[in-house]
This record gives sequence, structure tokens and C-alpha cells, in this order.
Amino acid sequence: MDIEGLNELAIGTADRLGAEDAVALTSKARERMIRFANSSVTVVNHVEEAEMMVYVAKGKRRGIASTSNLEPSGVKRFVSDLFASLKGLPQSEYASLPDAAKKYPSASAGFDRKLDSVGPELPDLAKRAIGASLKAGGKRSAGVIEASTVSSAILTSSGTKGAETRASIKLNIRSFAANDASGHGLSCSATLAGFDPEMAGERAGSDAKRMADASEPQAGKYRVMMSPTVASNLIEIVGDSASAFSVDAGTSYLTDKLGKKVAARQFSLTDHGSVRGGLGGRRFDDEGMPTKSVKIIEDGVLSTYLHNLTTARKWKTETTGNAGLVQPHAWNLEVGAGDASYEEMVREMGEGIILTSNWYTRFKNYRTGEFSTVPRDGAYLVKGGEVAKPLKGMRVGDDLQRAFSSVQMLSKAREWIEWWEVSTPTLCPWVMLDGITVTKAYE
Amino acid sequence: MDLEQAKGLAEDALKRAESSGATYAEARVQGTRVREFVLKNGEPQPSFFEEGYGVGIRVLSRGALGFAATNSMDAASVKDLAARAVKLAGASSSILKKPIKFDSSKAAKAKWAPKEKKKIEGADATWLREVLMEAEKRIADGKAGVKIPGRIIVILAGLDEKYYVNSDGAKVQARIPRILSFCSLTAMEGGETAQRFIQQGETGGLEVVDRIGLVARIEEEAKVMGKVLRNSRKPPTDTLDVVLSPELSGIAAHESVGHPQEADRVLGREGAQAGESYLKADSIGRKIGSAEANVSDDPTLPNSNGMTPVDDEGVTGRKRRLIKDGYINEFLQNRVTASEFGVESNGASRASGFDREPIIRMANTFVEPGDYTTEELLKEVKHGVFFKSFTEWNIDDKRLNQRYVALEAYLIENGEVKGLVKAPVLEITTPRLWSSVKARSKKLEFESATCGKGDPMQGAPVWTGGPETLLAGIKLGAR
Repeated sequence: MDIEGLNELAIGTADRLGAEDAVALTSKARERMIRFANSSVTVVNHVEEAEMMVYVAKGKRRGIASTSNLEPSGVKRFVSDLFASLKGLPQSEYASLPDAAKKYPSASAGFDRKLDSVGPELPDLAKRAIGASLKAGGKRSAGVIEASTVSSAILTSSGTKGAETRASIKLNIRSFAANDASGHGLSCSATLAGFDPEMAGERAGSDAKRMADASEPQAGKYRVMMSPTVASNLIEIVGDSASAFSVDAGTSYLTDKLGKKVAARQFSLTDHGSVRGGLGGRRFDDEGMPTKSVKIIEDGVLSTYLHNLTTARKWKTETTGNAGLVQPHAWNLEVGAGDASYEEMVREMGEGIILTSNWYTRFKNYRTGEFSTVPRDGAYLVKGGEVAKPLKGMRVGDDLQRAFSSVQMLSKAREWIEWWEVSTPTLCPWVMLDGITVTKAYE
Repeated sequence: MDLEQAKGLAEDALKRAESSGATYAEARVQGTRVREFVLKNGEPQPSFFEEGYGVGIRVLSRGALGFAATNSMDAASVKDLAARAVKLAGASSSILKKPIKFDSSKAAKAKWAPKEKKKIEGADATWLREVLMEAEKRIADGKAGVKIPGRIIVILAGLDEKYYVNSDGAKVQARIPRILSFCSLTAMEGGETAQRFIQQGETGGLEVVDRIGLVARIEEEAKVMGKVLRNSRKPPTDTLDVVLSPELSGIAAHESVGHPQEADRVLGREGAQAGESYLKADSIGRKIGSAEANVSDDPTLPNSNGMTPVDDEGVTGRKRRLIKDGYINEFLQNRVTASEFGVESNGASRASGFDREPIIRMANTFVEPGDYTTEELLKEVKHGVFFKSFTEWNIDDKRLNQRYVALEAYLIENGEVKGLVKAPVLEITTPRLWSSVKARSKKLEFESATCGKGDPMQGAPVWTGGPETLLAGIKLGAR
């Protein structure tokens, strides 16, 4: 049975049991991956997974369940068990699904069928990335290429129906040279034609070579130029903080800031449910509502939180098409472009630090937005508007509102980022911030 | 589908992989059943449950490793997948520099489960709700002495059932029931906020809730937040001693000892993700700390969160003395890294689900207890800060430069614990930290945590722990 047929079975069962609201969202995913380290393959992965998520509500009681047992008899039993479990639950307020059904005609825009068949060529793609790194000065490389195809279908008890398929390919390569110096490169694309393993390998290799004689900076406050990779890591938390669930839960620094300035005027952030080039998202959210482009921050001012039907009801507003049945979330984030080139930004910065990659961002307090993160790979001190020397052994920290209120410049060129440290696909430019705290370890 | 039905699929997959040309093969079926309940500011969120079975197959072909998984549990699909894994692995050998080998560890034949007095299957929605409502009752409306406008409390009752076979003859069956709780508390007073994330849990049945005092811990943490908001003063900036609580000793052991001593990181296998290590293959025997620095990892602790007496490569686990009397003593090994190092696997391989390859993981990592009572240890401190709990923390990817920001911390003067200090920061290199260890208390306590590693990401349940650990001659920072 195909995934749309399985949804019919689940919703039919829920209807017969007397559910007032029901949603069935079924997906099938194929993930193909090659991992390498020391320029040698370490493992190839091939994972095929199917999952059905069902939501039922009756008499102010709600339950959600997921199963991978997609035999028709298993689906019927699963929905019946879920419905029966409602009896033990307390009542709570929530918004019902709208009566009007929405139909999403099948669409293939944004789905590159060539990506669906990628698999046997993964070793060659890895070789190309490793080769480009070697040529640029990397001595050995570690990394991963992942091609994934996900088909999703939704059916609600109101008759809302939709299905679509998306695919993406991502490379994360890290190269090493003398003294464990390292560089990092990414290529993330929704099309095979847009995938560029050589570009990512060249970046990783050249930064690894340039980092060989890195030294520690003085602790203090700096202008910092963040690559799209680094900035996206922080932007993801801005997106999470815009979820109405985070605001209610006390884990958002954007609490009480609707309509207020939360960033510099040149900073804008939009979430797209479905966008050309986007690595994720859908045309419908988990409640069957249409996703759209939602301006979260416009010219530095917080425009909206991200809502599902239930949070929208609480906040007396409309859903933004960002359900999550429990937690609204971003789909594809886009930071507005600036008008500067990378070179102009370095020149304008005068003195400061360039960061190309980071990891391990952690918060002292999500309510205040106080964080620190650990730069790695290419990092450079800039003096007199020119790169002066490579840097290592530092940590940067701030609070998110102060940091994004200090935005000085944004690059015109932007890149899609999604990797180990950024799970929400983000289209992001280089971002120059001012007054960022740099600390070092006690030795 | 139940485990008995799924076992046959594992056996079939193994046979097909071998007949397809695999020089080594293993198959693991894993069933997962989760019941979860969430309260947000006292409002019940939709209850959640998850169930499913899947099979993961790992093979060696032409010296290269392949992993394939599916949750489509029909015999034909599983056999096809096994053959596909062999084909994909073999094809990838075009960029293989050195054939991958498994060591000759003894293949375990075992059946294991933690003690479980009240079956985990009893965790229905009503029971889960009652546990959380009791916690909510104790902290809502300022009952813990402070307003906590942001409260997320989650309880989860999970059951993993696994059956594992490999071509070396291992046959392992496990039933792993577990209770986990996550709690996010945001307290506010006088325009200031404090935030605390608490994870509690261990393997076992429903009795875990009472055994670990799950509800009382949430109440106690809430009370502390009020004190922190009202009474904290700036931390001292001069050179002083630091006492790490079991919670801080545990996170330091996990981050700056356990991770850099994972042999796969030492060999570079996680280079593009979680990173490599400041230690090299020849670092065994290197002095890294004082004679008081002793850190271990033990997968055999009964009912621990990281309990893994037999790992996901069919190897019987044992306690690993990672740092012994200040020297790097051994790494965490799986069968592949053990083969590289010329040692035997110490049973550190785990997979977080059927759809993940097994990789090297810590189990329960801790600073070994010493022989001081807590009072005796504190008496050693003339001027210091006692780090009781932490919020923000991170470490560089070689595991040399780490930072812990305290939530609850106290000044110590002449052996006595004085007032609270606000957000002191311990930002320190790994050699400095472990070289500064002067004494350890007898107390040994553990915290539950979820360790992230791998690509695709794998969250592994672990314990981190230790005694109170005295560090001498430290300079702190402040937030």
C-alpha cells in the first residue's frame, strides 16, 4: 500500500472510532551516505525508513503516536490503541482543525529526480572533494556525503490532502595539514547540478594549509566576521526562539519583544515553508495548513512568532503554517543579503577576527540569549583591513540580541547551509558583528 | 511484530550477507516502544507514543565497511538489503587506503537486562501524568519560593529490545527498560532570570521514579534557583581553589577524558563531525594529571543509564580505567580500532537505534572516588569556590579547552561554605584541569545525560559522575 493509501486507512479508522480531529502524516525516506577519514572510506550507509505519525483528538483530549509497522492490520490496531489511550488523559485547550479541506495538487517543483538515483557515484564524489583539498594544501580529509529523498503525504479528518517529494545532497569536508591545522568546507544543494564537491574540498584544503602556524589571540572584544556556516549556527537558535512554544516555555530571548527592535536595521530573517533551492520544508505543515514565507524579523524588528493552530489561538492570531503539532518550528530560514563583497567586508572591518566554522554552541540561559561557541578550522586576525595571521584556541560569546543588534555589514553572496551543527536549512550571507567577547582557557 | 518474530529476520540477513560475499557480517533487530508525557506550565501537551521494529546490517566486503537498515520487516526486503550492503561496501573500496579489520574478541552468547521490579509496560498515560502533576504541584505558583513562569517537564518510559548475531558466532539478546525525565525551569525575580535543565533517569522499571527521587529533585532544583537569584555575588578573580561537585566532576570526566580517549576519534574517524583528539595513538602512558587524577568508564554498573554489559558488536564489556594515577591508561575500543591498536575490544560499541551503525561510546564515565569525607575535603580549602551545578558548557573538538559556567556556586573561606557567587566560569585546558586535582571525596554520585556523536547523529544514554574533586590554584572568569 502506498503512503497515501495508508493515510486513508488511518483516518478512516479514526473517523469510525469517533475522533473529532485526526491527522495522518506518513513519510518514506531513503538516505545514502559515504563517510571518509584520513582520505579513506570508513563506511557507506544505506537506510530506508517509513513512518506514520497520527494525531487524534476528542473531548479536549489529544494524543500523537508514530509507528513504523505499516501493515494495514498494524495501522488499524495502532490507531485504535492511540484512540483508546485518550481516556487516560487530562483535558486541555487546543484549536480544532479547520472544517474547510485544502487540496495540494501534486507538484514536483524543487524535486531533482537525478538526486533520487545518486548512490553508486558517492565514492567518486568523495574522491573529487578529497582531490580538490589535496591540491589546495590539505594533507588528509574527513567528511561525509549524504543524499536523501523524502516523500511525505498528509490526510486530515477535514479532508485536507497533500503529498510531495524532496531530495537534497550535502557534503561536509574537513581537511587537516601540518600541526593538526584544519579547514572546513560545505556544499549543500537541492539539485545535483548545484552540488560542488571541488569547491568545498578546495576551501577545506586551503584553510588547513593557511592555519599551520596559528596562534592564540588576546582575550577581549572584537569585530567578528562570521561565515555563512558560523552565522547559520546562531540563526538556527533565533529561529527556535521565534517559536511560540519556546516563548511560552520560557526558553526564548524574543519573549515580550513583538514589534520591538531585536537586531540591527539591515538584518532581516524570513522562514520559507517551501522555496526554490531550499533543502527542506513542505507546502503543508503537520496540521495540513499551507506553509508560506513568514517574515520573522524585518529591518531589525520582530514581526511575528511562528505558530501552529493551538499557539495561534492562545496568542489570538493566525497560524503561520509552522506546525509541529506540539512545537511550531522553522522550515527554511533566509537571512536577507547585504551589498558587500567578502573582500570589502574584510577591508571595512579594519581590525577583527574572521571565523569560518564553529561547534558546540551552548547557552547559559535561552531566556536571556547568553551563549558561547567554539571556533574551529579557518580563523584569522585582520589588521589594517587585511588578513594578518591564523588564530586558534579561543571561544566567542555574547547574547543573541546584542550580537545581532551589532550587525555592521552583510555580504551580497549567500550560501545554503545544513550540516552537523545546523539542522534547519539556512540561506545565509557573511555577517559582520561588533563587540563580540573572545576568551581563552586558563593554562 | 515482536522480538521472537524479528529474530528470524536477523538470522536470514546474516546468511544472505555471507552468501553475497561478506567477509564479516552482523545483523541487529531492534524494537523500540516509548510512552511520553509533557507538561508545559502545567498544561498537558498531547501525549506521545512510538513503536516500531527495524533491522540494521553491517558487513565487510573487499575490506570496506557497509551498513544498511530498514524498518520494512518483510523477509524479502531484509535479505535484499543485506545483499545491497555487501555490494555498496565492495564498491566503495575504490577509495579505501587500508582494509578494515575486526579484532578477534571472543564472541558473546548472552541474554541481559537490568533489574526491573515494576514492568515498564505499566507506564500508561494516566501513570505518566500523575508523576508529572506531582512535580508541577510542588513548583507552580511560587511554591518552591520563587516564580517559575517557564516550566517544561517531560517523562518518558522506553523499552528497547535487541537481538544481535554476527558471523563470528555472537548471539546477544537484550531487554532495556528505561525511565527518563527532562525538565526546563526558568525562574524570574527582580528582573533577573535563572535557567536550569535537569535530566534524570536510569535503566529499570517504574520503580526508577521513586528510587531516584525524580519529583523531589525537581522541587529542590527550583528552590535553589530562587536562592541564586536573590543572594549571588560576584565571584572572586584571584587565584583560588575550586571544588567540583559530583555533577561537575562528571561532566569534566565525560568531556575532557572520555571523549578524547575514544579510539575512533584518536584515529580520526570522527574528524569532520565531533572532531579528533589531542591524544595520539602513542599517547598511552602519557602523564596528563596529578597522581590524584583517576577517571574510569564502566558499562557494567547495574541499572545505570549507560548499562551495556554486552555491546553492539557482541563483545562483553568491562570497566575501563581511562586515567590511572595521572597517566593515560587505555582508550575506549571497538573491534575495528582494537585491531588497529593491536589490543582487544573493551566492549564500548553501541548503536542508538536499528538505523545507526555501532560506534564507540562512553557508558558511565566518572572520576574515581577518593578517601576524604566532604567535610575533610572542604577543610583543605582556605579560599575557593564550590561549583555545585552548571548551565553553559562546551569544549573544543580536540578536547583541550573547556568551559563550565556554574548556576549554583558558593564561596569557601577557611574550610567553610559561605554565600552564593554568581555564574563563575571555569575555562581551563585539559592538562591544567587534571594536573590541578589535589583530593577527592568518598562520595560517588551520577547524573543522567545524553551524549551526541556520529553522523547521522546518535544520542546515547550515559551517566556522568564522580566525587567532590578539589582543584588547587585556579583562576576563574565571570559571565
